[in-house]
Amino acid sequence: MKTVDRILKSITTLPAFPATGNKVAQLLSKPDYSVAEIANVIKLDPSITANILKMANSVYFGTRQKISTINDAVVHLGQKNLLRAIQTAGVSKYYKKGAGGYYDKATDLWEHSVAVALMSQIISKKITGEEDTTLYTAALLHDVGKIIMGEFVRDSLAKISALVSTQRVSFVEAEQFVIGINHAELGGKIAAYWNFPVEIREAISFHHRPDLLEKEEKMMPWIVYMADQACLMLGLGGGIDGLSYRAVDQVLKKFNLRMKDLEMSMVLLTDDLNRARELINIV
Amino acid sequence: MSDLIVGISDIKVSNNAQDILVTYALGSCIGIVVFDPVAKVGGMLHYMLPDSNLDQNKAKENPAMFADTGIPLLFKSCYKLGAEKKRMLVKVAGGASILDDTNYFRIGQKNIMAMRKIFWKNNVMIEKEDTGANYNRTLRLEMSTGKVFVRSSGGEMKEL
Repeated sequence: MKTVDRILKSITTLPAFPATGNKVAQLLSKPDYSVAEIANVIKLDPSITANILKMANSVYFGTRQKISTINDAVVHLGQKNLLRAIQTAGVSKYYKKGAGGYYDKATDLWEHSVAVALMSQIISKKITGEEDTTLYTAALLHDVGKIIMGEFVRDSLAKISALVSTQRVSFVEAEQFVIGINHAELGGKIAAYWNFPVEIREAISFHHRPDLLEKEEKMMPWIVYMADQACLMLGLGGGIDGLSYRAVDQVLKKFNLRMKDLEMSMVLLTDDLNRARELINIV
Repeated sequence: MSDLIVGISDIKVSNNAQDILVTYALGSCIGIVVFDPVAKVGGMLHYMLPDSNLDQNKAKENPAMFADTGIPLLFKSCYKLGAEKKRMLVKVAGGASILDDTNYFRIGQKNIMAMRKIFWKNNVMIEKEDTGANYNRTLRLEMSTGKVFVRSSGGEMKEL
């Protein structure tokens, strides 16, 4: 079997993505939802339940009371934070084994993913004045392709590294050339297999080259791209691929941002990372 | 033997020969190591951004975040332990950039420039340097010997 086919086939070995987030989102969209009803949906998934209780007490989610039951979490987190906590818990279990081949430590990919998710919210607030839960999920999942690609990258590392270091080819381009698929595109396919909406899939597939997505008006891939680049620059979860990615020069102009705004968002991120220790520590 | 880990926007100094100062994952950030071989005092700074004018309050709260506030603090902290400027050896690593033909995300470059300017103004020589390119680096200082080691992502530990 060709390498690409083997890679695509291994997508189907991934466990289905927990439906908790979607179900809770549906309940929350009704005007007359009850706390008990939502808590019951969450409790169906024991690993999500355990992780939400850990995260709910983080300063990042701004709860003042000590949260010790799921009912408390539903009441005190608020809709947006509740959904973000559920998605964080849901995604985390796929990242437990890390992405060997890219990273030395199993936790590196998760730390990077949480950092990019937090950064996406800082940038979104700067651009639109608001945070965005769908964007948060897309950012958290942007590198999901690496959980499968890791072993294939390890096998072809000599070839990939040679391309990157001598030809000034970006790491995704080298993956594509040597293996036949890259981690961004593969991530988009995993998200499709998990039935995530198209905007999340596109944000993942195009997170290194948002300029290649024809629907230019879409903001999500651009913000995930910026958040990812900023975290790579900060050394947050950079792996074997390091900073070997292309700068897309339109990005700051597109959102009327200056270099200073990006630097300031890095300053803000260091605060958020301290307040969000619990999110990182669940893996 | 204990490893003192220097985080992002952080300074550690030591006069204990048992210590190893280490910072992981320098991307565009810069790690500066200083060592006085006579006083056996050493220190490491991991700064994030070039210029504290970006946010003066933040710089007051954590001077190690910026080159222009972090570098003086690194030297002063070493003086307190008995180091003298004229004996201090300086080695630096980091300041990587993403592949950027348009020079848009040039934080790595700006960090390198800021550091050079500060050292130039203060008559400090950089003894050894491993900066630029597009990979992450880990930086270590062995207090017992004053030796400094750099490891680039995926590579071997090498003496700087």
